[in-house]
Amino acid sequence: MLKALVIAAVTTASFVTMAQAQDTLRVGMSGGYFPFTFVKQDKLQGFEVDVMDAVGRQAGLEVEYVTMSFSGLIGALSSGRIDTVANQITITPEREEAFAFTQPYVYDGAQVVVKKGNEGDINGPEDLKGRTVAVNLGSNFEQLLRELPYAGEITIKTYESNIEQDTALGRVDAFVMDRVSSAEVIDKSPLPLALAGKPFAEIHNALPFRDDEEGRALRDKVDAALTALKEDGTLAEISQTWFGSDITSTE
Amino acid sequence: MKPLDLDYMLGLVPVLLSYVPLTLAMALASMALALVLASLLAVERILRIPVLDQAVMLFISFFRGTPLLVQLFLFYYGLPQLVSALAQINGVTAAIMGLTLHFSAYMAESIRAAILGVDRSQWEASMAVGMTRGQMLRRIVLPQASRVAAPTLVNYFIDMIKSTSLAFTLGVTEMMGATQKEAAGSFLYFESFIVVAILYWIIVEVLSYGQRLLEGRMEQAYAR
Repeated sequence: MLKALVIAAVTTASFVTMAQAQDTLRVGMSGGYFPFTFVKQDKLQGFEVDVMDAVGRQAGLEVEYVTMSFSGLIGALSSGRIDTVANQITITPEREEAFAFTQPYVYDGAQVVVKKGNEGDINGPEDLKGRTVAVNLGSNFEQLLRELPYAGEITIKTYESNIEQDTALGRVDAFVMDRVSSAEVIDKSPLPLALAGKPFAEIHNALPFRDDEEGRALRDKVDAALTALKEDGTLAEISQTWFGSDITSTE
Repeated sequence: MKPLDLDYMLGLVPVLLSYVPLTLAMALASMALALVLASLLAVERILRIPVLDQAVMLFISFFRGTPLLVQLFLFYYGLPQLVSALAQINGVTAAIMGLTLHFSAYMAESIRAAILGVDRSQWEASMAVGMTRGQMLRRIVLPQASRVAAPTLVNYFIDMIKSTSLAFTLGVTEMMGATQKEAAGSFLYFESFIVVAILYWIIVEVLSYGQRLLEGRMEQAYAR
């Protein structure tokens, strides 16, 4: 109780987060996107964490992780609560207008996933006509679906989290996510899911920064670190650890 | 039906327990601030100061008339768009502000009713024995009013503790946020959410026990 009172005093006292010195890099992530960013026994981990730790070491930046709901990440980046987002952010024309991106560090594809046993009926995005599909709110997969010529025939449901669970329970017919983590979820989780057909769109994921002088300077630093980490094989190594393949290059 | 993963559940308990102080701290800070604000609002509603009275009524009406979740989003995601300096407010602070304003609107009404519930004859008797206004309030009116208001206020506090779980939507990793993340990594949804539900339940039961003790103490003075 006393401890709680002390924390209460401190939290009310710290009404404003202190201005950041620019040797720290505040990295936003959801902590709920297995195996890129997830939490086990209170420890934040995943491919993104390993990559950002390596970037921090390479660029001489102190990396500070901030977790929040996925849909809040881009807003937090714009408003300056964080400096970048490491959450498999796909480069899109709209996002490129608003943010300064690094080079891609993951090459991936969009994938339809269904409840195990339904992969015969649904074999790709064409088969989603007349069905209900789950996507993460604010993700580029939502946009990919809405851009399909027959998007009007698909019922799209947006979620903050747990799209895998709702598909496994049969509440929706499928979900759309990136191929890499879909395969990992099917492999590592107890949920009865299956890949439906091949990936249907190529996606390039990178780190977005605010498009102002400070943001671009920080982007250049991080981008140089990514180049070095690609050349010395660090990124490929991290990718092998998590996925058993190299998703960080186009080869 | 699949068997429950008991090892996972047991492993989750200490992890979530480490978030109890933050949950209680948010609730206590909000309660302390809301008590002050609600008392001021209640006194104003009794005194009916022109212009200020209309403002207070509007405040109470808005904060009782809109969902807490909407208010939290308005503070944390909405206002920074209008006033960029507000982007510096962190999630915990925004949650405490939201809970304070929301609950003070409700608490003001119960505090006002409790003060007005003290019989007129008590006020007159205090005046008759020559007490000052301050003495009258401190010694006669407020002790009786607080006895009436206490059960309701403890109820609001319990509600507040549970409402701190909404702070996870502002990116605050408190008990619910921590549970949500563990569930997303383990895919053991039932195990995760039942553990956190039981923890909230225990906290509230402990408080309810405290409430009964407190009420017993307060009744002693009035035992016939």
